[in-house]
Amino acid sequence: VSSQQFSALTEVLFRFLTEPKEVERFLTQLSDFATMNKISLGPLKNIVKSILLVPNGALKRNLSSEQVRADFIALGRRLSELIACLLLLQWKVNSPTLTRLAVGQTLMINQLIDMEWKFGVTAGSSELEKVGTIFLQLKLVIKKGSQTENVYIELTLPQFYSFLHEMERVKTSLESFS
Amino acid sequence: MAAVRDGEFAALQSLLKAPSRDAVRQLCQECFSSPPAGLGPLAQRACPGFAAGPEEAEQLVSALHNLTRHVVYRGLTSAEEILSLFPENFHQNLKNLLTKIILENVSAWRNEAQASQISLPRLVDMDWRVDIKTSSDSISRMAVPTCLLQLKIQEDVALCGNSPVVSALTVELSKETLDTMLEGLGRIRDQLSAVANK
Repeated sequence: VSSQQFSALTEVLFRFLTEPKEVERFLTQLSDFATMNKISLGPLKNIVKSILLVPNGALKRNLSSEQVRADFIALGRRLSELIACLLLLQWKVNSPTLTRLAVGQTLMINQLIDMEWKFGVTAGSSELEKVGTIFLQLKLVIKKGSQTENVYIELTLPQFYSFLHEMERVKTSLESFS
Repeated sequence: MAAVRDGEFAALQSLLKAPSRDAVRQLCQECFSSPPAGLGPLAQRACPGFAAGPEEAEQLVSALHNLTRHVVYRGLTSAEEILSLFPENFHQNLKNLLTKIILENVSAWRNEAQASQISLPRLVDMDWRVDIKTSSDSISRMAVPTCLLQLKIQEDVALCGNSPVVSALTVELSKETLDTMLEGLGRIRDQLSAVANK
């Protein structure tokens, strides 16, 4: 809430104090204030109650300006602490996500973003009438800067098994470091 | 590969002038391995060895190329099958010698044909390393492991001829990407075993 908005709120409060019979008008103005500034009404009412205690107390105890100032400062401090608590709570809840996003923004070189595959049997060729060997084709989608590049590779079956074995070793290695 | 024509068998008789059996063996291998475009130069090299003129040498080399390629194409594996290719009146000893040489080489030739068939770029090698990222411009302290994978890829053999172009591609994978990739590879392995067990 900006100081301008808060100043408007204080005007509303003191107008109520000076015209205590105008309860309806006060509540309407509070509600308008809440809507205009996108604050929920419940917490606003609690804050307003705390604020109103000070002038009422000041009158009852006939406090000097200095003393009233001190009371308002104390109130301000309590409100700040309340705001700090609420913000800290949000931070604790969201910081894992925020950290993950920051890590995600870290530079990656030729990041692999997708992999598609197909495998099949080579039935024949111009050199061999009947073949019957299995081939495996991979399409790797790689992010190079802001563009993506597709890389197509073919593997034989033994190469595939060896590739799978190596990738499992990588996984074990990555896991031992996290 | 079309069947070998009778005229070509006649050309094979030039082999009778060969200095030795090994010379015949050598020529068979060279004729098989050579692409059609390379037969000309091969014939020229063969001329002196077989005491043949250029035209004769060309016909010989071409016939031998077609014969060997035909055997490999049809997948003939037994002596009878190969012997039956020759015409009735073909020189008996030469026929036996050629059959013997072809039988010796047929599986190596078959592998050679498979290795040189057209394909997408092939994986020839892969290396990996695991790094730990400790800091970056967006976050000053972290300990995030990441994998760098280098794939050596060879372009289509048929296009490159004798000087294959091998390019290296380095790719970075996060742990999540690797897990997803392993899931995919596992599925491939399962499907492969399902096919193998049928």
